[in-house]
Amino acid sequence: MRSADAPADGADVTEDITRFYQPEMARVIAKQRLTEMMVLLRLQLHSGEPLDHDPGQFLQISLPGYGEAPISFCSSPTQTESFELCVAAVGNLSEAMHDLRPGDFVGVRGPYGHGFPIDDMRGRDVLCIAGGIGLAPLRSLINYVADRRSDFGRMILVYGARIPAEQLFKDDLAIWDARDDFETLYTVDEPDDTWTGRTGVVTIPLRDEVEIDAPETTAAVVGPPVMYRFVAAELLDKGMVEHDILFSLERRFKCGMGKCGHCQLNDLYVCQDGPVFRYTDLIGRSEAIEVWAPEDERE
Amino acid sequence: MMKAKSQATEVVMTQAATSGFIQRLIDEGPVMGPRERSKHPGFVKFDWLNSADDLTLEYTTTTIPPKKAFFPPEQVLFDFKLTEPPEITAVQEAEPFTLVGVHPCDLAALDELDDAYAQEPAEACWPAARARAHVIGVDCLPDEYCFCYAVGSCGFREGADLFLTPIDRGYLVEVLTEAGEEMLHLSDIDNATDDDREQAQHFAARKAENLEASIDATPEEFADILEEGDFGELWREIAGRCYSCGSCNTTCPTCFCFDINDEFDLGLTGGRRVRTWDSCQLQEFALVAGGHNFRRIRWQRVRHRWHRKFLYLFRQFGRPYCTGCGRCSRACTADINIVDVSNEIITRANGRA
Repeated sequence: MRSADAPADGADVTEDITRFYQPEMARVIAKQRLTEMMVLLRLQLHSGEPLDHDPGQFLQISLPGYGEAPISFCSSPTQTESFELCVAAVGNLSEAMHDLRPGDFVGVRGPYGHGFPIDDMRGRDVLCIAGGIGLAPLRSLINYVADRRSDFGRMILVYGARIPAEQLFKDDLAIWDARDDFETLYTVDEPDDTWTGRTGVVTIPLRDEVEIDAPETTAAVVGPPVMYRFVAAELLDKGMVEHDILFSLERRFKCGMGKCGHCQLNDLYVCQDGPVFRYTDLIGRSEAIEVWAPEDERE
Repeated sequence: MMKAKSQATEVVMTQAATSGFIQRLIDEGPVMGPRERSKHPGFVKFDWLNSADDLTLEYTTTTIPPKKAFFPPEQVLFDFKLTEPPEITAVQEAEPFTLVGVHPCDLAALDELDDAYAQEPAEACWPAARARAHVIGVDCLPDEYCFCYAVGSCGFREGADLFLTPIDRGYLVEVLTEAGEEMLHLSDIDNATDDDREQAQHFAARKAENLEASIDATPEEFADILEEGDFGELWREIAGRCYSCGSCNTTCPTCFCFDINDEFDLGLTGGRRVRTWDSCQLQEFALVAGGHNFRRIRWQRVRHRWHRKFLYLFRQFGRPYCTGCGRCSRACTADINIVDVSNEIITRANGRA
């Protein structure tokens, strides 16, 4: 079957058939270096329209000539005049994005995907667990909760960075820490001379210091794939059920519409069915996180 | 959407009439069809025809399927200029064309891609290209790699405006759409006699008889087997032979994955964004930033191909995304045969039960 809106024989074929792939222009209005690897870009659509997104959704960002890549929003949609993306220098495109200056143009498509299920989370306690650059997508949720504080119960943030120098959003971390109605636990894997806080991987404060009312809590977890099974074990140990545990997954989306195949996770498309999934939906799907393989099977 | 005729009629085009018909089609607009490669006699590819003589209507298979007429291996999505703000100009291809000589398995594949690209959110390039084209199908005789009967595409007609079956004096032509009926104005046609119809039926019967390869389970049963079984050992055996070259994907009429990349002009003032075919068998396909790869190991990618074709897309769309054309088996540099592997899976599953 052709789609209902496909042009009929002899109908107008001059319609813009590549519209789906075309970015609209946005402008860099501020840039802040967060760490050696990460910059924060604040953007505004050139049209002046707000770009409405849900916390946890992603955007396809492009620089003509360098290509396009998916990046999660790290600002809350409650901030309507602009939006923010946190970019790690990991390839040609993202390195070029590190060289952007206020006033420069970038292409954007989106927002795409299913973010955090805000409607289901209202009235519940929110437990955010971030590992490394996973704090960036979670910041969209954390600041949403901050701006709609009375809609939610407790707000707990457990954040682990590898080293103090890699901590993201230090200003935000201080603001969240200072709030009476936020509970924050920050840790680093490897401390340096300046570090006076917790030491150890993120699951340690989660296990030892976080007490929750499990049936009333939704956990939102974003970090490297290896983190997920350990965090899941701690959360289940605290009495949570899989349905209330949310994982955001990273894939190299090329289209954002469930066609290019790059984000296929067994029978799911991460760009359509995710990137935020309930743990329930990932159990039994072998490609959700990397499959362990013995060394002799690695290629 | 083409209008199907309420009742298919049948006419006859003699050999001479067919040649004249193709020539008149070419005179009217671009025609793509099976054409013998000039440097590789005996090998046929879908290509633009300059004259009716270029057409090789009776052929066994092509290396690359006719989906390329609608989804080119490399397609410019838009041009850009590095102005402030950057200027984007969509590239339009709006010329109607005719695609001739499509076998039933490839008609089935085009129909499957109609479904895949129309799934919400619908993609617009594919249906627009489909709407520009008229399609003329032709029946064929199988080689040892063909297994269309096993996946139900043996007698597929949907999407064809005309369908030709070889008979002694030319072709019995099924007129399947109003557009097909229109096209017949370009041809000398005869009424079909009982003898013509009998010959066409005989051709179809010969096709069925000559189909040696088959999958030993229905598509439904095979999907269940893949879903329930753990064939890790077999996937590792197959992967031990696979080179991850991606030939199976490149030659597949139902594969629709793609990559998108930018190209700069040499003058560095502009360029274009290009969509290209991609392959899930290549190691980088499921790679993400930070070096994480969700199908890093070869057997995971081999399994993915079978699961996607016979399980995931079967569950989504109700038919396997394999139409039995056999191209992947012919193209495989390691002689991995889709029928043999599928049957080995079925044998092992039945052995366990």
